[in-house]
Amino acid sequence: MARLHGGMRRTGRELCLNIVGVAAIGLLVFPVWWALCVALENDPNFYATSPDLLPVHLIWQNVNVALQQVGGDIVTSLIVSASAAVIGVVIAVPTAYALKRFRVRYSSIVVLVVLLSQMVPGISLSLAFYSQFRRLDLLGSYPGLILADSTYAVPLMVVLIRAYMVSLPDELFEAARVDGAGEVRCLWSVVAPMSFPGIVTAALFGFLGAWGDFVFALTLNSGSSVQPVTLGLFDFQNRYQISWGPIMATVIVAAIPAGVILAVAQRWVRAGLRAGALNG
Amino acid sequence: MDSLLTTASPPGHDTAPAGLVPSHGRRSNMRSTISPLRRLRAKVVPALFLAPVTLYVLFFFAYPLAFGVVISVENYGFSALVHGSGPFVGLANYREALSDPVTIAALRNTVVFTVSSVFFQVTLGLALALLLNQTFFLSNFLRRLVLVPWLLPLVATGTIFAQLFGSQNSLVNSVLQRLHLVTQPIPWLIQFNWAMVALVIVNIWAGLPFNTIVFYAGLQDLDATLFEASRVDGANAWQRFRHLTMPLLRPVTSIVLLLGIIGTVKVFDLVMVITQGGPDNETQLLSTWAYSVAFTNFNFGEAAAIGNILLIICMVAAAIYIRRLRKERAHLGRSV
Repeated sequence: MARLHGGMRRTGRELCLNIVGVAAIGLLVFPVWWALCVALENDPNFYATSPDLLPVHLIWQNVNVALQQVGGDIVTSLIVSASAAVIGVVIAVPTAYALKRFRVRYSSIVVLVVLLSQMVPGISLSLAFYSQFRRLDLLGSYPGLILADSTYAVPLMVVLIRAYMVSLPDELFEAARVDGAGEVRCLWSVVAPMSFPGIVTAALFGFLGAWGDFVFALTLNSGSSVQPVTLGLFDFQNRYQISWGPIMATVIVAAIPAGVILAVAQRWVRAGLRAGALNG
Repeated sequence: MDSLLTTASPPGHDTAPAGLVPSHGRRSNMRSTISPLRRLRAKVVPALFLAPVTLYVLFFFAYPLAFGVVISVENYGFSALVHGSGPFVGLANYREALSDPVTIAALRNTVVFTVSSVFFQVTLGLALALLLNQTFFLSNFLRRLVLVPWLLPLVATGTIFAQLFGSQNSLVNSVLQRLHLVTQPIPWLIQFNWAMVALVIVNIWAGLPFNTIVFYAGLQDLDATLFEASRVDGANAWQRFRHLTMPLLRPVTSIVLLLGIIGTVKVFDLVMVITQGGPDNETQLLSTWAYSVAFTNFNFGEAAAIGNILLIICMVAAAIYIRRLRKERAHLGRSV
């Protein structure tokens, strides 16, 4: 009897958890689902309240309009974000190596400054970038936006790659040195390959940071032909307030890189989010 | 946590493990015979490895912030942008900014926005993490979906919610009316207070995945045997939460809280997309106000002054965060 009672309680608890879980996560996911439904709606002048919530018809018309409108911007975003991530790798890998390998007093200053620089608001940087880029004729250019966007990638990637390298055993570094390898060779042919998963994860985060940038795009590249997809979406929304179908299609397209990364490497993403928050 | 970045060293890893002592001894013997050249190299090599990051930080963070300080005491308008510097005006920009009611409103709005967003992000994030920390039929599947809101660039998030809240017959209004929670549609984005409420809701939604994931990781790191023991001792779920989970999770909570504050005071994208600071500056934040002073009025000096106020808030929160991080290092689980 007691066992039966316990079993029923367990079933009740199980049922309850599933219902609450689905309700909570459903609410969390719903806006994205909604955007997807509006994007795949067939009425081009859609402005009603209820699109089909099961977009079985898969109308690609809005996606086509969106791609015509911001297709070039997506390419721009890809170029800019990938370049920012590359800058991040170039700066962060030697930094992380040095922070792990050499116990100099300067290291702790570097760690502190990198952590602080992660917290600087973009708008504070953009005033200086605007006035200097204006003089250097970098406003509205690829190099300008890439350099500005690299400020998302570099500090975060230093933190993440350092967290990864710290976890590698000291013996690895020692062994390479005993074998007579110089520091550069030790980094290049032992530590960097060993850290490859960490470097890739960090680069993905750097890429996504730059991909989501809006403040630099708006202040430095508004009105130019070099527009990332965030700025394209912003302009699109301001210009064609009514055509939500194509706008939501753009929203979905803008979410694709992170979506792919999340689908392929959810474990790494979670670990990265956590390491980014808790390392210093 | 199931991952690579978390299999890290325990605190105090820096000291050589016992097994390495012999080689350690040999090394210190060698040290006495090191040539001055090699000693020089031991100093130069770390400097060379740290040179890129040093130069980067100087050019891309130190310089822009110093620039912001310098132009905040100059009359730095359009002609200064052309010539590269403006006449010195002392603290006039700060005085001007602080005597403008919009700046005061922006300051107040930033505080309201930050406090309410962070409060709900942390409490809801913890609640969701506790839920997902249970094992039930759908728990694995639901855990995978938590990060979905995080997929979107904030501009995209803003766009979706602009539509969900936007009009008289928007989805949010029609649901509220259908549930008989309101009789009239709420003019979300165009009326006093409602616009701020809408923005806070959107920001909570955008920040929830991060908070949940970090809390979830923290919960996973807690020592399961402690909970087992307290269960055996007859503690109920609430007692376990109150006297075990809460205190043990405190370090993670304070970190999440501070990161939330730092992330929220500088929110820009959501406001620009959803309300552009309106109606009547009701949702103007320090970030958006600095933007509009700089890029619509071209008064870079005053914008820099406003930006510096925001920067000070960020840096104070950042300093507290870093101190916490270092103090709690031992308690933050395996990853630190």
